[in-house]
Amino acid sequence: MFLRKLATSAIVALAFVGINAVAEPVVDQPAPAFSAKTADGKTLDLASLKGKTVVLEWTNNECPFVVKHYDKSSNIPGLQKEFTGKGIVWLQVISSAEGKQGYVDGAGAIKVNKDRNATPTNTLLDPQGTLAKLYGAQTSPHFFIINDKGTLVYKGGIDSIPSSKAEDIPKATNYVREALNAIADGKKVPNASTKPYGCSIKFAS
Amino acid sequence: MALRRLLAGFTLLLISGICFAISDRASTEQVSARLVASVDSVAPGSKIYVGVNQRIIPHWHTYWSNPGDSGLPTKIQWKLPEGASASDILWPIPGRISLGTITNYGYSDEVTLLSKINIPANAKVGEQFTAHASVEWLVCNEECIPQEVELELNLPIEATARQSSEGNSLIQKSLGQLPVASPWSVQVDSLTNGFNLQLGLSESQVKQIKDIWFYPADWGVIVQNIDQPYQQTSKGVVINLQAGESKLEPQQNLKGVVVITEQTDTGLVATGFNIDVAPKPAQINNAAEISFLSALLLALAGGLILNLMPCVFPVLSLKALSLVAHAHQSPLQIRLQGWVYTAGVLVSFALLAAVLVILKAGGAQIGWGFQFQSPIFVLAMAYLMFLVGLNLSGVFVIGGSIAGVGSSLADRGGYSGSFFTGVLATIVATPCTAPFMAAALGYALAQPAVKLFAIFLSLGFGLALPYLLLANWPRLQRWLPKPGLWMERTKQVLAFPMYAAAVWLVWVLAQQSGANSVVIALGGMVALAFAVWLYDTTRNTRTTTERIGTTSALAILLVTLALGYSGLNEANATEKSGATPQADQNWEPYSAERLKTLLAEGKPVFLNFTAAWCISCLVNEQVALSNQTVKDAFGSAGITYLKGDWTKRDGEITAVLNQFGRSGVPLYVFYPAGKNANPVELPQVLTPDIVLNSITNTPVN
Repeated sequence: MFLRKLATSAIVALAFVGINAVAEPVVDQPAPAFSAKTADGKTLDLASLKGKTVVLEWTNNECPFVVKHYDKSSNIPGLQKEFTGKGIVWLQVISSAEGKQGYVDGAGAIKVNKDRNATPTNTLLDPQGTLAKLYGAQTSPHFFIINDKGTLVYKGGIDSIPSSKAEDIPKATNYVREALNAIADGKKVPNASTKPYGCSIKFAS
Repeated sequence: MALRRLLAGFTLLLISGICFAISDRASTEQVSARLVASVDSVAPGSKIYVGVNQRIIPHWHTYWSNPGDSGLPTKIQWKLPEGASASDILWPIPGRISLGTITNYGYSDEVTLLSKINIPANAKVGEQFTAHASVEWLVCNEECIPQEVELELNLPIEATARQSSEGNSLIQKSLGQLPVASPWSVQVDSLTNGFNLQLGLSESQVKQIKDIWFYPADWGVIVQNIDQPYQQTSKGVVINLQAGESKLEPQQNLKGVVVITEQTDTGLVATGFNIDVAPKPAQINNAAEISFLSALLLALAGGLILNLMPCVFPVLSLKALSLVAHAHQSPLQIRLQGWVYTAGVLVSFALLAAVLVILKAGGAQIGWGFQFQSPIFVLAMAYLMFLVGLNLSGVFVIGGSIAGVGSSLADRGGYSGSFFTGVLATIVATPCTAPFMAAALGYALAQPAVKLFAIFLSLGFGLALPYLLLANWPRLQRWLPKPGLWMERTKQVLAFPMYAAAVWLVWVLAQQSGANSVVIALGGMVALAFAVWLYDTTRNTRTTTERIGTTSALAILLVTLALGYSGLNEANATEKSGATPQADQNWEPYSAERLKTLLAEGKPVFLNFTAAWCISCLVNEQVALSNQTVKDAFGSAGITYLKGDWTKRDGEITAVLNQFGRSGVPLYVFYPAGKNANPVELPQVLTPDIVLNSITNTPVN
């Protein structure tokens, strides 16, 4: 009896090895868990959003590529308005280190969004770059979409034409809209991993 | 900041617009751009080179056609007279610019982006040929600024073209930096997680290499922000590239430019070679890259050898002895026992394979023997070995009957007994990586799930085979001696290897979780011994006593396991890396950084990847690597001996093991002196002679 129990429990023990393995987030795999400070001074845990579709949008308000999609075109503010209206949680992430381009504190982040008519669900402050490194975010903008089961279903750029010109927006395929619509329809995201383009994330040097 | 620069750029644009006369030059705060041509005048029907020359201030850069992780390539839009046409940009070889987690491909200081222009045949001599370029670029240091300039060049149309002295020098320089077709054979092997790009350079050419880098034509085909390790092989140089976000489709070629920087008499020279090759499945060219069939056979052989391992042998010999005891059973029953035992082994191996497949799917870096990297597992194994030992010593007997000669673990009558002996054999076999298994398992781990299962089952079948044969072949049974008291004595003797194994496991645990874990383990063993003693003494007394005895024994067992588990978690939390260097130690701890530095200096290095739970590693170290002659040879040859400890999980070491096609330790590699020398892999079983031969016979460059 003892031996039999031990034998089975030893085999079960095998299964517990290596579960802590950390890897870059991969599409169709569980999105890495995190909790982060928000612009309104609270703490937000990804786990608390289970059951909802979550958009993570890395941003930097001084980056010309972000300016293209905000100030010059209202492209991203438009998406935020449209999809938060449909119950999707839209989180901006600001990973610029203090003193670097795009760094803002909580009040600053709220003000910048007000000035641009941006209405994300919330803004996550990540001046240490922890969240950016966890997700392998490289540019602003850079998008990650997590479905209601906590699975990463999209990572990549805002659209298909990497340029700094607002004139290109109408000609481009908006990958974020395409992905969110596919999720809403219960379909597979057609372009689940695309090239992000924009400014590099301004980590502390 | 950025906005100000942006404004400055726009102002400049405005000024140039107001002045109306668009010139061949335009500047922003970061970039001076100039349109140059290879000629001072053009002839009708000819082809000329024009170039957009960018001079960039220090620390800023513009981008190549594939900008890498961020950035944008420079764009040129031509406005040309009717009938003229311009080619796409001909890109000189780029450099790489790394910033934190991002690697970009682009140009610093100066670059001339070339285009070829066709002058129409009907161009009229005496008129002007006006080439107008709208040039858009993104210039970055840490911050990025998109900029746009208009450039125009007016060239007189003449019957014969006049070469330009100044423009031509810039264009010639740039032409010299265009990638060319590779003069060597190029082969791309697709691996499970990337590519090996092989260039057929000669040995002397490989030695000149200072830097080699593959710049992919498209984003996402490879991971950009990691090293591209390369090795010299018999066929040239092999660069290892890790697959990126967007995988190549089956019919797609790997495209890009390989830039080789060589040391020449006049300094460093970088040359680019175009790559456009269909990847092939990996070729069989070293021990680890074996065919599926030979992997199956190797696994079978490895399984057979496992039977002889010190921890497995006692369990199995007892099982064999039980055949003698079961002489009264019918041949059919005995045969069935054999098959049930085989099923036990195979089911366990399938479970093991399933765990590996799941972990692999989760992206974990794993290798064979990985389970021993968990202190909890090591503790459980130590307890198991100890319990088996106690059982063999006769401290307790399992099962309800005391009739017959020692109804112990291995000769429990029922088929379930046989099944669990199989399970047990598998568990105790895992730490022993027999020499034949390393290659087969290394291969298996890199295979899709179905093949991985097949190889594991083949291994299991090998383990089960001796007993299965014995059970199925009555002739063989006749060779077994007659039952008697010797059987009981053998059992008792066989208890000692089990105790020894338990001692070794506790030592492994001490390496992993510190001195406190030893107390937890040994204390647990005392409790276990007490529990089984209690169980055994109360076993055949009155029913109530028996019940109380069994229950408390079970309770003690569970408490022991729980305490061991939580105790170890605590020990893990407080444990500090306790590697204290010793005075006579002739090795240094491995780090990728250290190895890179040593190799860059061209120093000889001996690499040993080991783990406290790897028996063959420990034997090799004792027999071969601690041998005084070997130590002296290392010393006199100036070899740096680096030792990597895989006792605990270490992704860095796992990555190196994978590079050599291994899934576990031991791994011994000798890097001879000289830069870019070929590393030499040593066998997994070492003798002083093998080590001495490999470090002296390797041609030293």
